[in-house]
Amino acid sequence: MEQTHYLIAGASHAALAAMHAIRLVDADGSLTVIGRDRELPYSPTLLPYVVSGRTDPQRAFLRDHEYFTRARAAYRCGHALVRIDPANRVAELDDGSRLRFDKLLLATGARPVIPPIPGLDAVPYHVLRTLEDALRLRAQLPQTRRAIVLGAGLVGMHAAENLSKGGARVTIVEQQQQVLPGYFDAQAARIIARAFERADVTIRTGARALAIEAAAGGVTLRLADGSAVSGDLLLISAGVTPVIDFLADTPIQCDRGVVVDATMQTSVERIWAAGDVAQAASFYGAHPVLNGILPNAVEQGRIAGMAMAGDRALEGFRGAVPLNTYSYYGQHAVSVGSGAAPPGAEVVESSDAESARYLKIILDEGRLHGIFAINTPIDPGVMWQMVRRRLDLSAVRDRFLAQPRTMGRLLMSSLLR
Amino acid sequence: MPAYNTIAFHADRCDGCGKCMIACAQAKSASDSPRRARLEVLADDAGRFELTMCRQCADPECVQSCPAAALAKNAATGVIEWDHDKCIDCLLCTVGCSFAGIALDEAAGHVVKCDQCGGDPACVRACKPGALEYLTMARIYDEAGSLEDLFVQGLSACQGCNTELIMRHTLRRVGPDTVVAAPPGCVPGMGAVGYNGLTGTKVPVFHPLLTNTAPMLAGLKRVYKRKGRQVTALALAGDGGAADVGFQSLSGAAERGEEILFLVIDNEGYMNTGMQRSSCTPYGAWTTTTPVGRESHGKSQDAKNLPLLMVGHRCAYVATASTAFMADFYLKLDRALQASKTGFAYLHVYSPCTTGWRFPSKKNIEVARKAVESNFVLLWEYTPAAGLRLTRSVDDPVPLSEYLVALGKYRHLTPEQVAHLEQHIAENVAAIKRHALAEAAAPPASTRPGISSAGALQGPPASQA
Amino acid sequence: MAAVAPLPSGRVLACDGNEAAALAVALARVDMVAVYPITPQSSLVEYLAKFIADGRLQAELVDAEGEHSVLSVLQGAALAGARTFTATSGPGLAFMFEPYLRTPGMRLPIVMSIVTRDTLTPQCVWGGHQDAMSVREAGWVQMYCETVQEVLDTTIIAYRVAEQRDVMLPVNVCHDGNYLSYGTARIELPEQDAVDTFLGAPDVNWHAALDPDRPMAVDPLTGGPAGAGPATFVRYRRGQCAGMHRALDAIRDAHREWARLTGRNHAPLIERYRMEDAECAIVTLGSMTGAAKDAVDEARAAGRRVGLVKVKTFRPFPATDVADALCKLRSFGVVDRSVDFAWNCGPLYREVVTALQGGTRTATSQSFIGGLAGADLTVEHFQRVIETVGQMREVAGPRDTVWLDAQE
Ligand SMILES: Cc1cc2nc3c(=O)[nH]c(=O)nc-3n(C[C@H](O)[C@H](O)[C@H](O)COP(=O)(O)OP(=O)(O)OC[C@H]3O[C@@H](n4cnc5c(N)ncnc54)[C@H](O)[C@@H]3O)c2cc1C
Repeated sequence: MEQTHYLIAGASHAALAAMHAIRLVDADGSLTVIGRDRELPYSPTLLPYVVSGRTDPQRAFLRDHEYFTRARAAYRCGHALVRIDPANRVAELDDGSRLRFDKLLLATGARPVIPPIPGLDAVPYHVLRTLEDALRLRAQLPQTRRAIVLGAGLVGMHAAENLSKGGARVTIVEQQQQVLPGYFDAQAARIIARAFERADVTIRTGARALAIEAAAGGVTLRLADGSAVSGDLLLISAGVTPVIDFLADTPIQCDRGVVVDATMQTSVERIWAAGDVAQAASFYGAHPVLNGILPNAVEQGRIAGMAMAGDRALEGFRGAVPLNTYSYYGQHAVSVGSGAAPPGAEVVESSDAESARYLKIILDEGRLHGIFAINTPIDPGVMWQMVRRRLDLSAVRDRFLAQPRTMGRLLMSSLLR
Repeated sequence: MPAYNTIAFHADRCDGCGKCMIACAQAKSASDSPRRARLEVLADDAGRFELTMCRQCADPECVQSCPAAALAKNAATGVIEWDHDKCIDCLLCTVGCSFAGIALDEAAGHVVKCDQCGGDPACVRACKPGALEYLTMARIYDEAGSLEDLFVQGLSACQGCNTELIMRHTLRRVGPDTVVAAPPGCVPGMGAVGYNGLTGTKVPVFHPLLTNTAPMLAGLKRVYKRKGRQVTALALAGDGGAADVGFQSLSGAAERGEEILFLVIDNEGYMNTGMQRSSCTPYGAWTTTTPVGRESHGKSQDAKNLPLLMVGHRCAYVATASTAFMADFYLKLDRALQASKTGFAYLHVYSPCTTGWRFPSKKNIEVARKAVESNFVLLWEYTPAAGLRLTRSVDDPVPLSEYLVALGKYRHLTPEQVAHLEQHIAENVAAIKRHALAEAAAPPASTRPGISSAGALQGPPASQA
Repeated sequence: MAAVAPLPSGRVLACDGNEAAALAVALARVDMVAVYPITPQSSLVEYLAKFIADGRLQAELVDAEGEHSVLSVLQGAALAGARTFTATSGPGLAFMFEPYLRTPGMRLPIVMSIVTRDTLTPQCVWGGHQDAMSVREAGWVQMYCETVQEVLDTTIIAYRVAEQRDVMLPVNVCHDGNYLSYGTARIELPEQDAVDTFLGAPDVNWHAALDPDRPMAVDPLTGGPAGAGPATFVRYRRGQCAGMHRALDAIRDAHREWARLTGRNHAPLIERYRMEDAECAIVTLGSMTGAAKDAVDEARAAGRRVGLVKVKTFRPFPATDVADALCKLRSFGVVDRSVDFAWNCGPLYREVVTALQGGTRTATSQSFIGGLAGADLTVEHFQRVIETVGQMREVAGPRDTVWLDAQE
């Protein structure tokens, strides 16, 4: 049976960060990366731009073949992991081949959630997670006049903007009362939504889909309030869920995702998980969380790689922090940290509808708990560091509230000189 | 991993004038607004300055955070390059960077970052006080890194030995067409000259007498010169052998202008034989022959200034160096090597000894740095044509106590002894400055005859404060 | 190699011993000369400096700052493959002692004249063998010359012996301060061709080189309480002793060959003078031999059966030859120009007596010490020696040394 010291399932951000970390310490240990997609590694984040045509996917691969050759790693694409046997440390791929590994990283990411809406299985719909999805959607674009986007998360919003720019009339249907729940509060969401509405995108929040029917040249979505939305293209963007089917019948503990400790190790020794697939400690609460964002995948991937290679510089995961940078119609929104202000926290908010500027800072016991900004320049990386290092800002509170960017830069520059 | 040129920020020299930002904005954004700059100088409440600018990280997080492959570290220059065409304006790179080295330029509508202006940074040019400095030593490190280590592995130096660092770096640089003479001391002591039929180096090596390193190399070098062969005669000697019992022969060889590269590793005493006093041992220092007891409190005389004595010989090149300032050391090594092709080159390297000076081995470079920063030792170079020149400012030294406190050999010092050392340092600084000033008053070196023979000095000048 | 044409090779001329040595060095085409002045050697290196300055000798000249460095320079040069020369006397030799001790162990074929001088103290700048005798156990080959001609010839021969591959040892050519250094005599200069043939190209560092083309550690630390170290050390030491012993043959062969080329026959190890049917003999060393031979001639003319044995090669000591020459005598006296502090006699005397140990008959013998501090050893002195030796009949206990210049 083929053997490999390090086996990495997945070939995206978490997987690549892990491989990089391994190779910094162990230049020679045999390493195999398997990816379900047929292409070189790419980022799902990029896909909306593939749909709109702004990005040529052939030029946007995260790594090339030479990278793997130089790193003395085997890159096996077009193969999915279908089963693992943790006791014997054997992985089975969809072509029936088997690989024995010493250390395994699960970095298989997430897949779209398909909500159980009656009739959905009988109509054509799109999702957006893979390059294949994106190309299919892109091919559909010229024929599309009216598109329905179900779900106003990041994927849906990105897709909606790009479909609209591609010439379709778009309606976003969101069950909750605002767009981008989880990253922005209602007020910020309204500012963002306004930019969409100005571009003729219809946003229907608080709208629950009851059923879906095929209609002439498309679909009709029946909503709980009795209204209906019709379109010739339906995109399901109702969230994602970790890809863990192949873990059935294994002792690897799963909750919503693969449960991992601070070094990204699963409940089974020598098996790690990182990125969208993993459910790791939260920075804010006791319960482990999914944190399906790119920076999280990079960070967890690096930690897993260091742990796998025995890198002594490893520091454990400090907990997932929700983070986002969101650009839409030339505007920019940033969210770092939690928007749920704990009791006694100081919340300072300012906004200006005219300029579409918005800033909210939550300080908890003198420390940054969360910061949310629209069209207001802050450095998200700096803010993230301030949150996770729990920097005490009491002494510079006033200046920080007045000039978060300047103060943040000063603090981080002096800290990391 | 190669080393790269880098823009260094000396906060202590910054006056906050902001010209760097304007220069950057002009060069990169055709704007006079500092807000369009790719670096930002910020003042804290105490009036100290900090710099925000891309640090061109070795393992850049921004690159890993980019979903569009729009960022990449250029392997040749080390600059993290941003590709406008590929960028999708997602700003995820700015999440990856903890320094705000890449940030959104609102006016431009995309992220911007420093690209070092292709090797001639506008900000550095605009910085009059020299707070921004473009360090181009990377080439030297890369070259040295690619050179073969000509000492064998597993020399048995003490843990954290500075001498081993010096000699390995030196020989890498000086190269294989070399004969090494290492008189008794730590260099042979750790096995560099070999043992019972084995050798410690990959070049010819000899263990001369403590007293005759220079003439022995002189005879050798003269013969090779006569045969028309390019062979470098390299001495790796300690301060005892050079300043004490070997001083006569060193002086003689220097006076005759023998074409030798004589490198003295000054660990301020006979550390190999068990930490006895030498004439280079500083005042007050504990050694096993200047012990601390009821009647005596360490050495009662000041250290001999051997490198300055060598200046008195008008050697082709004389310089002092420290492993805490490797770029400076490498420059001087290059110049010394060059000078040794036509005359006597003398390089005096200060080398803290963890064992003999009594401090933790991991502190070696820190101790070396503090020695320089407190003016306990001074970094300078000399050629007959250009005179003596400080290669590091002696103004605003850190307090001497910062250096002394690190070392067990000074633990017993009384306030009077510290005062004596301070006085001695002040005199030393004054003496060196006099030398340097005398030279500054003379016409520029380049217009004086003889400078061409000091061709070694035609490289970039070391940073001058 | 370019001929050193301006040297008066193949001619007869008058010169002193220092110039003769310098001429020999030039004829040997040395590559490197390192010098430092000291009486009575100074003029020797002055001649060499002048030869080099005039281009008559194409060698590197190092005006070192002391004898210690002089020999150190030569060590470095030899390790780079050069044929080398220097000369010294008395305190200079003492100052040189550290590298001097080290040279034989490295088997470097350096040739050095000792223009002999009595050692301090009392402060003294005049001739006597005490300097060369003081370093007799350091491992150098030492040959003593009798005449200016012998100084010249022996200096050339020294290179052949030193560079012989089964010898590889440094050689001292000793000539007496004052008497030979400044005494002028008629000499014949050999042809340059003859010297070139005799010596061949320098063959100096085949065994130990500091040469980037042949990297090696020369003389690394050797020894230690256990392991391979002590055995390695012993191998080197024994090898050095063996080389020293082989030098006896090498010296004999070299002299023979030199005689073939030049027609000049110098006794290589010892010279037996009028020893046929002798009952008594004088044993001499160096320039005193001339006066001693005159005294022997006179005694022979008076019908006394007296002969002379001159020791030329003192290190290695030609014990067999000496024993063979003296064992059948009734009595002999050894005249030393230096003292052996331990035995209260002359050092040559002690060596000669030691050489005779174990023989079937032991001649009665007497140590004489004279010619210290530049004093002349005259025919009268040797007449006294012959007188004393002639009267010694029975084997008795140790005899008190006779100090020839004492004012009793
Ligand atoms: C349209 C869209 C927009 C997004 N925008 C943002 C954004 O703006 N900001 C942000 O932070 N995040 C964004 N994300 C989320 C971000 O892309 C993910 O968090 C990130 O890609 C997670 O990386 P990962 O490596 O964990 O998993 P993935 O990127 O999902 O990669 C999973 C990998 O596993 C492989 N794989 C899957 N199953 C198998 C199997 N069975 N066997 C072998 N290999 C398998 C896949 O081929 C792939 O290589 C977006 C995602 C999408 C889809």
